[in-house]
Amino acid sequence: MNATRYLPLFLTMAFVGAPGLAVAESLVVNSYGGPYEAIIEERIIEPFEEKTGIDVVYDAVGSASQDYAKIKATQGQPGFDVVVMTASQSLQGCKDGLLEKLDAAVISNLGKLGPSLAAVAGPCGAVHEVQYMSLLYRTDKLPSPPTSWSSLLAPELKGKIILPTFQNIMAVFLMEIMSVARGGDMIDHIDPGFDAMAELARQSIGFEQSSAILESYIKDGTVWAMPFWNGRAQLLVDLGVPVDYVRPKEGTIPLIATLNVPVGARNKQAAMAFIDFFLEKSSQEAWVTSYKVGSARTDIDIPDNVRKRQITTEADLKSLKLPNLSHVAEKLSEWGERWERDVVSQAN
Amino acid sequence: MSTIALTAPAAMPPAPAKTSGYLVLAPSCLVLTVFFALPMGTTIGMSFTDGETLAPTLAHYQRFFSDGLSLAGLYRTTVMSILVAVCVTVFGYPVAYYLARSRSRWRAVVFALALAPELAGVVLRTYGWLIILEDRGFINDALLNLGIIASPLPLSKNLFAVVVGLTHVILPFGILSLTTSIQGIDPNLERAAQMLGASRLSVLRHIVLPLSVPGIVSSLLISFTMAASAYATPALLGGARFKVLATMIYEQVLFYIDWRFAAVMAIALLLMMLTVSFLGIRYETRRSNRRTNSEGVFS
Amino acid sequence: MNGVLSCLFWLAIGVVLAFITLPLAVVVAASLSPSSTVTFLPWDWTLEWFGALLSDRWLQPFLLSFRIATVVAAISGVLGILAAYAIVYEKIPGSALIMAGLLSPLSVPQIVKGVAIVLFLSIIGLQGILGTPALIAAHVVLALPFVTRMAATSLTNFDGNLDRAAQSLGATKRQRLQHIVLPMIKPGVLSGVTFAFIISFNNIPLSVFLVRPGDTTLPIAVINYLEYSLDPVMAAVNVASMIFILTVIFLFEKIGGFSTQLHGGSK
Repeated sequence: MNATRYLPLFLTMAFVGAPGLAVAESLVVNSYGGPYEAIIEERIIEPFEEKTGIDVVYDAVGSASQDYAKIKATQGQPGFDVVVMTASQSLQGCKDGLLEKLDAAVISNLGKLGPSLAAVAGPCGAVHEVQYMSLLYRTDKLPSPPTSWSSLLAPELKGKIILPTFQNIMAVFLMEIMSVARGGDMIDHIDPGFDAMAELARQSIGFEQSSAILESYIKDGTVWAMPFWNGRAQLLVDLGVPVDYVRPKEGTIPLIATLNVPVGARNKQAAMAFIDFFLEKSSQEAWVTSYKVGSARTDIDIPDNVRKRQITTEADLKSLKLPNLSHVAEKLSEWGERWERDVVSQAN
Repeated sequence: MSTIALTAPAAMPPAPAKTSGYLVLAPSCLVLTVFFALPMGTTIGMSFTDGETLAPTLAHYQRFFSDGLSLAGLYRTTVMSILVAVCVTVFGYPVAYYLARSRSRWRAVVFALALAPELAGVVLRTYGWLIILEDRGFINDALLNLGIIASPLPLSKNLFAVVVGLTHVILPFGILSLTTSIQGIDPNLERAAQMLGASRLSVLRHIVLPLSVPGIVSSLLISFTMAASAYATPALLGGARFKVLATMIYEQVLFYIDWRFAAVMAIALLLMMLTVSFLGIRYETRRSNRRTNSEGVFS
Repeated sequence: MNGVLSCLFWLAIGVVLAFITLPLAVVVAASLSPSSTVTFLPWDWTLEWFGALLSDRWLQPFLLSFRIATVVAAISGVLGILAAYAIVYEKIPGSALIMAGLLSPLSVPQIVKGVAIVLFLSIIGLQGILGTPALIAAHVVLALPFVTRMAATSLTNFDGNLDRAAQSLGATKRQRLQHIVLPMIKPGVLSGVTFAFIISFNNIPLSVFLVRPGDTTLPIAVINYLEYSLDPVMAAVNVASMIFILTVIFLFEKIGGFSTQLHGGSK
C-alpha cells in the first residue's frame, strides 16, 4: 500500500544531513537570549573566538534560577561550561558545592574588580556586570520625573502601573526598598514592605514575569511607570520610546550578574579563559557601552554620559542598598507564601 | 456487521493468550518503568525526606494541608479541569459527528481547521488569546471604542481566560477521540431508524449519543487530565492571580528549588487524576461488559 | 423540528470553527505585520520575517525536532498497538488498572516528569544520555498514553462478532489479527501516531529539562526567543512550523491514516 512508498521518503527526510554532534571540544556558554544574545555574540564571543581559537557554542536556554535548578538537578553537570547567573545563585552554588571556586591566579582579571562588589558574589562568581532597579516612567504622561518610589502610589497613577511577579527578583527588591523607606528593614522587619506592596498591588493593573512583556506595557502606553532594570531601561530610551528612568531618593538595590563554572564542567580551562577575557578592560568597556550596564572594574574608560547613569565606582556601589543575599534566599519560600496571601490577593 | 447477534458470545480466549497478553505489554512497561515509574518513585521517596538531613519526615505533607494556598490550588485545578473537559466535549461533538459522517469535500477543510490548534505551538496560541482577551486586547478595544463599556472587562488573568485557552488547546484531542468513536457506530442504524420515521433528534438521543459513550468518556478523560496538568496556558492566561497546581509546581521546581514540596504537590495532582481516570475507565468497562453480556439490539 | 436541529448543528460547527481559527488568524497576522503591533490590513503586510528563518539559528533546532518526533512516532506506535491489544483484545485481568497505569504519565505535569527524569538519571550516574536519547525516551512516555488510548478506543468499538465469525470459520489467531483486527484499528493507530509526532514536535515543558546545551529543539528555541523579545519573528517561526506539520499530516493522510478514518474506511 501507499505506506511503503511514502515512509522511506519520510524517514530519509528526517535523517538527511544529520549534523555530527556539535560539541566535541567547544566551550558551551549558557546565558540569555534577545538583545543580550546579539550583543554578547558581537562584543565578547566573536573577539574571544578570534583571540583564542576556541569554538563557543551559545546556549540561550533558561533564566538564572532555571539554570541553577538544572545545575542542582544534574549535580553540577548541566552540560554547559560557563553560565551567566546572579550573585544569589553564586552564593548558593558555592554553599551547595555545585560551582567551581574561581582563582585569581588563573583568572588574573579577577584581581582588577572592585573588592566590595566582587565580594558580594562570593568566591564562586565573577562579577561581569552590574545593573540596578530603576524607576522607569513615560516622559509624555508624567508632568515631572518621579523622585521617590512612593510616586508609584500617586492617585494619577492608579491603574497605570504594573508589577513584576514574585518570581522576578525585582519584586523582592522593590519590597525591600519600600520596607526600608517605611521604617522597616530588608530581612527581619519586612512587614512595612508587604504593606506597601499590597497598596501597590491595588494601584496596579497586575503582575507580569518576563521583562519582554513588562516593557511592552510601557512601550504602548498602557502603563506609565514601573520598576525596571536600568540597562534594559536605557535600551528603551535609546530606541526612542518616550521614557526615562531615575534612581529614586530612597536608593535602590543592584542586580549583580556573575559568570560561573559548574563543578562538573567539561572544559574548565577554556571556561576560565573565557571569564578572564570577559573581565578584560577592553571587553568590559565594550560591554558597558553596548549593553548599557555598569561594571565592577573601576579602571575602565567610558564616556561620562554613560558613567553618570551606571554603577562603575565603589562610591556608586556604596550609594546602593544591598540586602544579605543568602538571608534573602532563606526567606524566599516564606515570603513567597505571604506574597500570595497579602499581595496578589489585593490586585484588582 | 452489526446485525442482530444470533450466536452466543464465543468462549473467552484460552489461557496461553493471557501470557502473551502480558508479554506484549512488556516493552511499554519497560519504557514506563525506566523513564517514568522509577524517576517518579525517586521523587516520591524524596517527598518523605528532609532536604538537609534526609531523615524521614511528613513535614512537606503537613505544609501542603496547612498553608491554605496548596489546597486552594488543588481546588482551582479541579474546577478548571472539569469546565475544560465539558467544554471540549460539548463543542467537539458536533464537529466530530460531522467529520465522522459527512462525505462532502468540505470535510477535509473542517478536519484541517479542527486540528489546527494543535499545529501551532502552545505558547503562540496562548499568545494569540492574550492579544484577544487582554485589557488592551481586541475585544476590550472594540467594546471601549463603541462605547458599550466604560472600563475593560476582566477577560484575562482569570478562570474564564484559562478555560477558553485550554479548551482551544485541547479541542483537537477531544474531537479526534469522539470522531473515532462515532465512526465505530454503524451508519445503517441511523438510516434504518430514520426510514422507520424517527426524527433526527430521537436518532441522536436514542442511537448516536448512547453508542458514542465510550468516545465521550474518553474525550472527557483526556481533556480533564490534559487540562489538569497543563502549564503554559494557565501560566500565561491565568497569570499571578489564577494559579493552578501545575503552575505552583513549576514555581517550586524552577524558582524555589524545593523538589520535595514540588513532589508533594505533584503527588496530590496525580492522585486526583488517577481517581478520576480510574472511575471513568471502570464505568466504560462495566458498560461495555453489560453490552457484550446482554448482546441485545446493538452489538 | 429536523430543520431547527440541522440549523443548530451547522451553527454549532460554525461557532466552534471560528473559535478555533480566531487566535491562529491573529498569529498569522502578527507574522505578516511589519512591526510588533499586529495589523490586519493586508496591504501593510510583509514577508520579511520569514526570511530570518533560514539561518542555522532556526534550521538546526528544526532538524533536531523533526528527527526526534519521527523516532518517537514510530516507537510509540508499535508500543501502543501492543498495549491496546493486550488490554482490550486479550482482556487480561486487571486491565482497567493497567490502563490507568499506562495513562498515568498524562496526569503528571510534564515539568515534574522532566525533573524526575533528570534527578533519576543523575542519581544513577547517567547524565550522559541527556540530550537526544533522553528526549526520545521522555517523549515516548508522553505520547504512549495517547496512542494506546486511541488504539484501545478503536478496539473497543471494533465489532467482536467479526472476529468470532472468523474464528468459527477456522481462522487462526494470527490470520485474524492480520486480516481483521489490524486493518480495523489502523485508523485509530495512525491518528495516534500522528499525535505522537505532533506532541513530540511541539513539546516544551519536558524538553526544557532534557535538552543538551547547544542542541535545542525548535519549541525551546522559540520560548527562549519569546522570553526576551516579542517581535514578529516569533509568529513567523510558529506559522512556518504549523505549515510543516500540515505537510506531515498530509503525508500521513496519503499513507492512509486520516483519509481512511474519515471516509469511514472499511465501513
